[in-house]
Amino acid sequence: MLILLIAAAALPGQEAEVRNPRTSLADVAAGAKTFRSHCSPCHGLNGEGGRGPNLAAGRFYHGSSDADLLRNISTGIPGTEMPALFYNADRIWQIVAYIRSLSAAPAAPVGDPARGKALFSAKGCPQCHRVRGEGGRLGPDLTTIGESRAPAYLRQSLLDPDAVVLPPYWVVRFRDDSGRAHEGFLLNEDTYTVQFLDFQSRLHSMEKSGLQDYRVEKKSRMPSFRGALSDAALQDLVAYLSSLRSPGGSR
Amino acid sequence: MIIRCALLAGVLGLSTLSAQVTFERLLHAAEDNANWLTYSGGYRGWRYSSLEQVRRENAGRLRIKWVYQMATTQMVETTPLVIDGVMYVSEPPSNVVALDAATGRRYWRYQRSLPDRINVCCGQVNRGVAVLGDRVFVGTVDAHLVALDARTGAVLWDRAVADYRTGHAITVAPLAVKDMIVCGISGGEYGIRGFLDAYEAATGKRRWRFWTIPEPGQPGSQTWSGNAWKTGGGPTWVTGSYDAAQNLIIWGTGNPSPDWNGDSRPGDNLYTDSAIALDADTGKLNWYYQFVPHDVHDWDAVQVPVLVDDEWQGRPRKLVYWAHRNAFYYVLDRETGKFLFGKPFATQTWARGLEADGRPIRLPNIDPTPEGTYLWPGVQGATNWYSPSYNPLTKLFYLAVWENRSVYRKGEQEYSPGNRYIGSVPLIDLPEDPGHGAIRALNPKTGERVWEYRLQTKPWAGVLSTGGKLVFGGSDEGYLFALDAETGREVWRQNLGGIIRANPITYLNHGRQAIAIAAGNAIFTFELGE
Repeated sequence: MLILLIAAAALPGQEAEVRNPRTSLADVAAGAKTFRSHCSPCHGLNGEGGRGPNLAAGRFYHGSSDADLLRNISTGIPGTEMPALFYNADRIWQIVAYIRSLSAAPAAPVGDPARGKALFSAKGCPQCHRVRGEGGRLGPDLTTIGESRAPAYLRQSLLDPDAVVLPPYWVVRFRDDSGRAHEGFLLNEDTYTVQFLDFQSRLHSMEKSGLQDYRVEKKSRMPSFRGALSDAALQDLVAYLSSLRSPGGSR
Repeated sequence: MIIRCALLAGVLGLSTLSAQVTFERLLHAAEDNANWLTYSGGYRGWRYSSLEQVRRENAGRLRIKWVYQMATTQMVETTPLVIDGVMYVSEPPSNVVALDAATGRRYWRYQRSLPDRINVCCGQVNRGVAVLGDRVFVGTVDAHLVALDARTGAVLWDRAVADYRTGHAITVAPLAVKDMIVCGISGGEYGIRGFLDAYEAATGKRRWRFWTIPEPGQPGSQTWSGNAWKTGGGPTWVTGSYDAAQNLIIWGTGNPSPDWNGDSRPGDNLYTDSAIALDADTGKLNWYYQFVPHDVHDWDAVQVPVLVDDEWQGRPRKLVYWAHRNAFYYVLDRETGKFLFGKPFATQTWARGLEADGRPIRLPNIDPTPEGTYLWPGVQGATNWYSPSYNPLTKLFYLAVWENRSVYRKGEQEYSPGNRYIGSVPLIDLPEDPGHGAIRALNPKTGERVWEYRLQTKPWAGVLSTGGKLVFGGSDEGYLFALDAETGREVWRQNLGGIIRANPITYLNHGRQAIAIAAGNAIFTFELGE
């Protein structure tokens, strides 16, 4: 007992790390149930985010330790819309276990990242995509894409770019009152105005009244690589993209 | 010292309440167009002012007069009151400020100390205060009703209405009637047993409580089974109206709990999703009309009842106009609660129509399922808590409308005090299919649409109509706009740079018509410029 106390005293400022005691598969399943009814209205049915932040990326704005998550779920986060949950700690630990399961490391992709990197350049991807400051601006920055997207998602994006197109990449097309055609990425719109980035990277803001054939296409500008790459090459490319992470690892 | 006191009294006399807000004055609030005395501008719930300085021809000259910024991360849903040059505004979560209505400068601020853990389904918001005598009344998210001195903000009494730890909260603006403060409760997503209360304004003593969910043995209890009534919901979170001639408080009730899974509560679940008419002196039920028996879509009847006396099929009749969250517009008889008429005012795919008594004729396969059921209107309804308006000059009924659908998912539900009790999670917005919004004018006799002002997004702002034949409304896009009340043509708009989730008001500032509305975290006021 005495020894333990001395050991604790030798580590000033370091609290004993609180670890989640409820991490069995049954706990994860129970946590998922609670999450679905209490957390998903804001954080999404699978923690992907919505009104509240994405919880599936393993990065949390208000602390990422088990103790942080327990506290934030139990008492809410002041100054945000995050409310408190009136449950005992065990039940909240199960939610923590579920949230952790969302960002558990997936199996490493099988391809060769080095070959994938060469393909990335050879296939012209940098014309639109940036990696660490190099590349174009018309597509998403991929510098840390390996952290936020699973290999399966990346593979799907390469084969079927239209499957998931996020709003900043929706394309607006219309003709103005002089008949001139316009198109670009829809950045914002309201009842009266539209803001877009044309494909020459120029920003525009226009009044909607007088515009004709106004339409928004939720399709990707990226070509599909289905049939254009062998399966092995596809795996290499996915392996490269999965390897793109911030240098310090996940926060 | 004597001189100082005299001076102080003189200053107060000039700048704050020169007259007490008597019940007599509240009875004539709608005609007192210099002020905005109750949540809806008068007991009939019209949100109408006869002011006509700002008209269709000159509304283009409206300019910002002042802005009052609040320090809050919560949504500002308040309707200000303006009384003799003082504006009383609630700040979320449960604070109150008194401002000089001419400059926006603050006289006082009441800051509510709140416990750490408070759960309100949809934000720690407040929709406004009530004023009676020389007192301001505010409900709090920890479910208290507080009386403040209108001159200083000092707390005169502070009464617990219910236990916040069981999901009770107050977001509604109370309503002053006679010598009482009528106050509703929130918590329909937490399995509360709903009620409407009346408190003595002088003491905070409770005068009566009407339980919106009857206990076993009481009339209506046959529409429940087992113990479901104990957690049956039926909150009362939007301010009702008062029929002075009949001495009836007419109020809307919210959803049964759990919202999207009705398995534990077979039956019609009275008096949820209903209009209730209570004797103002006793709180006894005079009549009710249930819009949605056994609701499983969260289609609360939380709308301001609009009370109009007019001809109905050739004879004068006391009416209630009600555009409901379920996408139907209704006309009720105000003496009996009898259903007179109903018609959809927005797209709906859940009912074939209404029976002769108004009961919905449901289509098959509309209930939530684990896989999800797609329906119009969406979970937030075709309209919601934001106020409609009735204009006696155009005889039109105005409201903000949503045109969208949701996927309704059913899940398991388990009651635990203070936590959500909703029976799974509907997807509130479909990102790929967001729908749109509109301001609509209806002929209240026929339910027919007279005009529409279409919006890109779905609005959470109420409407105000005026003697200048204008309709003021707002949007989530942050615009406040003025429309021609007869045609819907836009005559003015202003980008305020913040989401508008509140109702507009109008009043006189030193004889000049002013418009006020909350947007973002601020109150904006407008007057005509040169």
